[in-house]
Amino acid sequence: MADLPELNPVVHGRLRLALLSLLSGVEEAEFTWLRAKTDATDGNLGAQLLKLEEAGYVVVKKKFVLRKPQTLYRITTTGRQALTAYVQALKQLLGHAIDT
Amino acid sequence: MQDHTTEQELRDRLSLIENMIAEGRRHTESWGWMFVLWGIAYYLAIAWSAWSHSAWAWPATILIAVIVTVILASSRVGKRPGTTLGRAVGSIWIALGISMFLLFLALGLSGRLTDQHLFMAVVSALLGMANGASGLLLRWKVQFASAVVWWVAAASTCFGTNSQSTIVFLAAIFLCQIAFGIYGMVADAKGRELRGSVNG
Repeated sequence: MADLPELNPVVHGRLRLALLSLLSGVEEAEFTWLRAKTDATDGNLGAQLLKLEEAGYVVVKKKFVLRKPQTLYRITTTGRQALTAYVQALKQLLGHAIDT
Repeated sequence: MQDHTTEQELRDRLSLIENMIAEGRRHTESWGWMFVLWGIAYYLAIAWSAWSHSAWAWPATILIAVIVTVILASSRVGKRPGTTLGRAVGSIWIALGISMFLLFLALGLSGRLTDQHLFMAVVSALLGMANGASGLLLRWKVQFASAVVWWVAAASTCFGTNSQSTIVFLAAIFLCQIAFGIYGMVADAKGRELRGSVNG
């Protein structure tokens, strides 16, 4: 077990993982789009996005479109690397689970 | 952490990543309504031109369809994230719309839009090109199959009588616009149902 990789706890959260995965496939996404895709509540979504922002995995940009506020999120290079590392660790753990 | 993580949970996480990445990349299924709208527009233009033989039938119908599309699409575009793939697919359809509008407006006004076979073949080939390019970009077999139907229609309408060519063209519109559009809308709705909550 000592050789097995650790799963990044910031990425491992179900909603945070879904958000990073969603953002990895797009250039940037609105808060409302992320909410629709994850079915998360505003409060939970905001809290999880803040955790990802604090970890440096996403960046937030606020702007006004036709006088309406728009909050856009974008995955950072660090966030993409963290997601890639998480997937690799996950595959290693799964491989180990199958072998044993 | 992994001591407490079951194999099923790990598989669930992997599946979640795959689903969410695919979700971010989905595009054409959400635009099923547009295929239906344009299918109806083609039927209206055909009926109008057959009834009145007006040179304005196609350009006017296409212009109205473009205006309706722009109004409906603008209310949806802001809600979708920007992707390179999305812009690539969108560019193909915008370029197709401009090409068809200018070509058929010029042909109609110059009075050279007289060969029904040629007209149907050109429309079918252009739609085959756009669907084929979109299908290849999105790796969506159903849309590529739709392109194949258009290409077969393009070749078929060059032969046979006017009635036979018209039937082929009308059938292609039904399959590739109406049926494909409805399929897209149903697939989109099913996808929304299947996507469970990922809160946690």
